Amino acid sequence: MTEQRRTAAVHATVVFVLLSSHFLFRPFLVASFVSPNLLVGGLLLATLRLRAGYAALLGFGLGFLEAAMALEGIGQTPLVLALVGYLGARSRDLLFADARYFTLVYLFAGTWIAEVGMLIFAVGELHPGYILVSSPLDAALTAVICGVLEKAVSAILS
Amino acid sequence: MRYTTVGRPEGQRRDLMILAALVALAWFLSSLEVERKLALTGAIRATVLAPFVSAHARFELRGELTARAARLEEERDRLARLALRATDLDAENVRLRALLGLPPRMTGDYVAAELVPGRPAVGDSHTFLLRVGAEQGLSAPVAVVNPAGLVGVVRSVASGKSFGEFWSHPDFRVSVRADSGPGAGIIRPVASSSGETLMLLEGVPFQMGLAPGTRLVTAGVGGVYPSGIPVGTVLQEAESQSGWSRSYRVEPAARPAEVGFVLVWRRPSMEELVPALPPPVGDTIRVSGES
Repeated sequence: MTEQRRTAAVHATVVFVLLSSHFLFRPFLVASFVSPNLLVGGLLLATLRLRAGYAALLGFGLGFLEAAMALEGIGQTPLVLALVGYLGARSRDLLFADARYFTLVYLFAGTWIAEVGMLIFAVGELHPGYILVSSPLDAALTAVICGVLEKAVSAILS
Repeated sequence: MRYTTVGRPEGQRRDLMILAALVALAWFLSSLEVERKLALTGAIRATVLAPFVSAHARFELRGELTARAARLEEERDRLARLALRATDLDAENVRLRALLGLPPRMTGDYVAAELVPGRPAVGDSHTFLLRVGAEQGLSAPVAVVNPAGLVGVVRSVASGKSFGEFWSHPDFRVSVRADSGPGAGIIRPVASSSGETLMLLEGVPFQMGLAPGTRLVTAGVGGVYPSGIPVGTVLQEAESQSGWSRSYRVEPAARPAEVGFVLVWRRPSMEELVPALPPPVGDTIRVSGES
């Protein structure tokens, strides 16, 4: 297996594990004050290898599934995640994707922005406690989990 | 792992067009009627998300079985005590109505249902699914209650399931009256300073002040909620509007987070109601002098 194919396989596996874990363990994840947002983490990782249009399509599809699971936000959640996908793919090109800690910073910032966007668009409220405490902790946890998972899958597939 | 940039994309215009189409689609989806949203959600949950939904049901069943059994036993005992008291009241009611020449009281019936709350990733859930539908004779909008009091309202009924909103939903309104004594108004949800969702009673006539601790029950106006269902207890006065009306903060009787099984009101149909109505008053009036 060439290095490029191996990297792609690791990437696809990580995204699949993150997204399936999100939908499988969703009741436990949404019930706690601080929890990793594996849906946004998976989407942001996927956007690293997708064109902006396709990233938006993926975000929209995932948002649609999320809204069906949540029974709320059938229009708003797909919209927010489509924007996150599009902006994620565009920011990858505009920023320095070769930087050492780019992925971690990208996941942290992306998750934080996505959660604040969901709060404003889907819920229509502004909770300072959520924006300044809960959401950054969610984002940090998401970045760490995605990083660790990537290392683990990479080690297994190497 | 480090990712290498793929450079500036060539088809930026196409990407933007895709995004614009998705924004339009999202706007279209959010403007759909509740029934169509329910149908879409149901289709997705029954197909793509079916393995996850059934896994959640299994997790919940395992985790809550013991707690649920204890809760149900407690509820059963409380209901048994209420039923014993209600038997006397029922008999008394029948006697009094017979004395006044009134027809039997038509209160409708209740259908027991399991409630599946919505679980948004951010914020509290304001919506729920019920595992009962049109087959059980339900029609929307109609009240959803539990032994503690009013839980919410069914907004849409489909085959085998119904979609509803908790009282904490921003669009929820219910007309209430004081359990004993004067005082009536309309209840809506309101967020407290601590972030907790409470109820706000508005439109209470200024001269009808309500004391803290007053129990509020549904007024039964409009046919969506049966009369006399506990809604909440007055906590304190919120504000008064220049001598016209007062508003009060209200502690809800039923908390959405604590609800698992509910009763859905099956209101009496017109066919059931009409025979129970007394004959029109005009028929019994005799003109003076007529034999």
